[in-house]
Amino acid sequence: MSAGYIDEMHEAFHSDLIYRAEDIPLECSPKPKELEHTLHGVMKLNGLVIRSLEEIAGRGANAVTYRAGKKFGHEVAQYFQKREDVEGALHELSDLLRGQYSFEVWKPEDKETFIIEENGETFIYLVFHDCIVRQTLRRNGLDQGGPLCQTLFGYVVGAVEEITGRKAKLEIVHTGPNACLKKLILK
Amino acid sequence: MEIHVDKNACVGCGLCVKDCPMHVYELQDNVSVAVRPNNCMGCLSCHEICPAQALEHRGIYAARRHYIDIKVCEMLRKVV
Repeated sequence: MSAGYIDEMHEAFHSDLIYRAEDIPLECSPKPKELEHTLHGVMKLNGLVIRSLEEIAGRGANAVTYRAGKKFGHEVAQYFQKREDVEGALHELSDLLRGQYSFEVWKPEDKETFIIEENGETFIYLVFHDCIVRQTLRRNGLDQGGPLCQTLFGYVVGAVEEITGRKAKLEIVHTGPNACLKKLILK
Repeated sequence: MEIHVDKNACVGCGLCVKDCPMHVYELQDNVSVAVRPNNCMGCLSCHEICPAQALEHRGIYAARRHYIDIKVCEMLRKVV
């Protein structure tokens, strides 16, 4: 490695900026547009981690990621307002997921209400539109519905349980390139 | 939601009928017909699976897409 190159490298990381301990950055640096490469890097990294986990742990990978997501959901939602009604809980959840995921409550046309009772179980259909997990999986050419999706499931279940104080379960009904249908089962 | 099937393009393979979880499509005279368009939740699996690219959805929410490779996009922009 030539001395010139090392000097050049040092030059790139040197500035006359004075940074005090009390300085709080007020905006994202650099501009979001310049973060595109960083985002792709993070997505690639996540994809690699998940692919390796699947290779090593096999089907057990789903349980690991689900548990991790659920724990995280509980941790994050504990600072949110506690709600007994499911509608309110979903509203809180939507705030919690903003920027990473967007979802809507959905029902088939033959159902009258969004809270559906069928075969002894009560559930709500959720359609996830924007989803960083889907983006990551498609960026890396991985199948949807695997361990990374389980992290999101766990996250949603953990958050709903924390907000409502009721046990919940989430099931994948269908995954697609533009939206995914999930069933939130209330216990 | 409006779903349009190009009858001239549809090959009647029935893949959209099998894939759709909400049974939006039915095969009628070997052509796919969107019989329950209001049941469509806009996943667009049918677009991905259709070998003839015969489907068109109107009034759909297009999810954000971050996964398209930046370099590929730059190359495509030069060509298209």
